[in-house]
Amino acid sequence: MEYNKPLPKLNADSKPFWSGCREHELRFQKCNKCGLIRWPPSIICPKCHSRDVQWIVASGRGKVYSFVVYHIAYQPAFKDDLPYTVAIVELEEGPHLLTNIVNCSPDDVSCDMPVKVMWDDVTEEFSLPKFEPA
Amino acid sequence: MLDAGLCNYVVISYGHNAFSSDSMMKMLMDFGGDDGVFGQFGAASGYAMAARRAMHTFHTGPETWKHIAVGERKWANLNPRAMMYKRKMTFEDYYNSRPLVEPFRLYDNCLMTDGGRAIVITTEERARDLKHRPAVIMGMGQHNTATAVNYSTHLAGPTGAKKSGEMALSMAEITLDDIDACEIYDCFTYTVEINLQSYGFFGPGEGEDWLKGGTIEPGGRMPLNTSGGQLSEAYFMGLTSLSEAAMQLMGRCGDRQLGPETNTKAPEIILCSDSGGVSRCHSSFILRRG
Repeated sequence: MEYNKPLPKLNADSKPFWSGCREHELRFQKCNKCGLIRWPPSIICPKCHSRDVQWIVASGRGKVYSFVVYHIAYQPAFKDDLPYTVAIVELEEGPHLLTNIVNCSPDDVSCDMPVKVMWDDVTEEFSLPKFEPA
Repeated sequence: MLDAGLCNYVVISYGHNAFSSDSMMKMLMDFGGDDGVFGQFGAASGYAMAARRAMHTFHTGPETWKHIAVGERKWANLNPRAMMYKRKMTFEDYYNSRPLVEPFRLYDNCLMTDGGRAIVITTEERARDLKHRPAVIMGMGQHNTATAVNYSTHLAGPTGAKKSGEMALSMAEITLDDIDACEIYDCFTYTVEINLQSYGFFGPGEGEDWLKGGTIEPGGRMPLNTSGGQLSEAYFMGLTSLSEAAMQLMGRCGDRQLGPETNTKAPEIILCSDSGGVSRCHSSFILRRG
């Protein structure tokens, strides 16, 4: 069946992240000057303004910083998923990533719950990083 | 501009057919960029995320927010212009309203409205000659925390209300104790709580105690969103609160007029707020009776 939900819009900043996802790797920029691991991707470090950067692969482990549970499908393609959980996951390396919590009833999700990444291969081009209880 | 003599009168206006068209929803659906990949849409999403983190950080939740939803509705029931004028709400109604984006229920969400508002600002000198007794701007402050919800590490507050409130109070040379009523931007019930808390009306998690017993209702000691607010009157962005504050200070509010009519203190000073971008920016205004 054709995938009918929104897909990421690629740009020069975000492309390395989504290419990494296709290989089931969570890639983030790390500032070579101050060491900040940052998200979203940007050409300069928001902390020290350095352009000197490398990409690192994150462990995929983190905890739920916050979450919401949808009982309404603002976009029809999500109707079959109701109720579904959208969360901000705080990764071990620091970045906060918007994602879904899967393989877990919305009633069982809580803030600070440990989670790990799993990969949802939605199209030929895209794998989405989602998280499940660790 | 007025002080510099560049103009004599400034009109601030807002109008929208948000209720009968899909323009507001379209705007909100496009608001979050790639958030939609994970099914995160609309204005409730970010505020609900903040509210959930707040529930984890200090005592808050529906038991606190019900006082805001029901309190504002009681004001709307006194305001013939309010969309919810004829619709009463009890705590039971609040709890029975359906969940949309948890932790929010339907009645935690503001309205979408067809309509508009406008305010005319001029100098005090010119205002003296006008038909109505004016409301005077005593203080203003703006503070933009500028962090998007998805990346914020302080999602449970304080919001920009803290610093913008300090700026406005300082300019007005008053303290919070001098405030007689509040008109607070209320896109969601929780928005009111976190901004009152950030202004310093109560400490983190003390909102339920502060609100209970009808604090913000007709007859209460700190009347709040006396038109019914955006939750129960109409959504006109910052102009819902600002226009109501001015009207109250002018004494033009009929059955909902602060003072003997509603068993409240006749107001000398009202604090108003506006916020935007899911708590990324915040403005505070302090108005007094002219």
